Amino acid sequence: MNKHKAIRFLMVSTFLLMQLLILTLIVKDNYENETFVAIAIILLLAFILFYGYKDIDLHHEEYAYEKLLVALWVPVGALACYFLNISMGLGGVLAAGIIGTIGSFIPNLHKNSNYLSQLPVPIYCGAFIGMSSIEVTPSLSFVVTAGIITCGILILSKNIFLGIGGKLGTIAFIGVTISSLIFWITQ
Amino acid sequence: MNSFILIITGIIGAILTYFVSEKLKQGAVRASALLSIPVGLFFYFFPQLLDSYLTKNIPLVFIGATFIGMVSSEVKVSYIKLGLAGVLFSIIYIYNTNFFEGYGGSLGALALISLLASMGISVLFSKNEKLSQFISKIKASFFNQKK
Repeated sequence: MNKHKAIRFLMVSTFLLMQLLILTLIVKDNYENETFVAIAIILLLAFILFYGYKDIDLHHEEYAYEKLLVALWVPVGALACYFLNISMGLGGVLAAGIIGTIGSFIPNLHKNSNYLSQLPVPIYCGAFIGMSSIEVTPSLSFVVTAGIITCGILILSKNIFLGIGGKLGTIAFIGVTISSLIFWITQ
Repeated sequence: MNSFILIITGIIGAILTYFVSEKLKQGAVRASALLSIPVGLFFYFFPQLLDSYLTKNIPLVFIGATFIGMVSSEVKVSYIKLGLAGVLFSIIYIYNTNFFEGYGGSLGALALISLLASMGISVLFSKNEKLSQFISKIKASFFNQKK
């Protein structure tokens, strides 16, 4: 197994594990509340999800990585969204919407620039980190750490789940979860 | 009733975003972000209009559903698949675990799960169609031989 193949395998397994973790926790919560219909629905979804992974062409054959200079905008988006969300008290949805909209107009500054045209994606990805509530992101250092980890995952996962909605959110979620783990261990 | 409203919100969010992104050619990020602003603003300025459960959850379900609609046209999803993904998203959201409450990106993760599941369901059905066609072919040939 060469290096590129190993990285892609790692990324796809991380995505799959995260989804499995969420579904398992939902089943556990509903089991405690004795909502068995929910458990049946979620288990069915998990089965279909595995089926989808096997059957739908999600993982492209070519290996490509996002450029560092593009992905570095993730922490910037995260900090900007965190500021609007927590410091200004606008709430996560409004903050992410504003940052995403501003980010989506950046390519209009210079229409021929290839670099600027790639920026909305990392900025919006970063905005998802900034959507976190104050209990999850207690400090700016947490946002920066989560931003840097997400930046790394974004670089490595350029060619998987290409064009599938929710990919950026999942990447941000993995970043936030890993940095929560780091902060939990170190404190 | 509240669940029903959230499911409708999920369907509208997913389909509207895809329409703005692909048909109006605004790009996925702008479609999702721009559509979330009026919904966020509405509940920011009128927090007392609906009951507190809906005021808290409609914007979250809407922005989560817009992530589904960010799917690229190259993936070839139909509006029905998007609508189904919106329904699945809302159902998962309603029963969602409290463990990841407030985690940024958790809505995106749910959106990815529901979109993949919706695509998986449609593959499953199309395969079954092939299967049923295959069975009917065998039946036809069997009966023809008998005659």
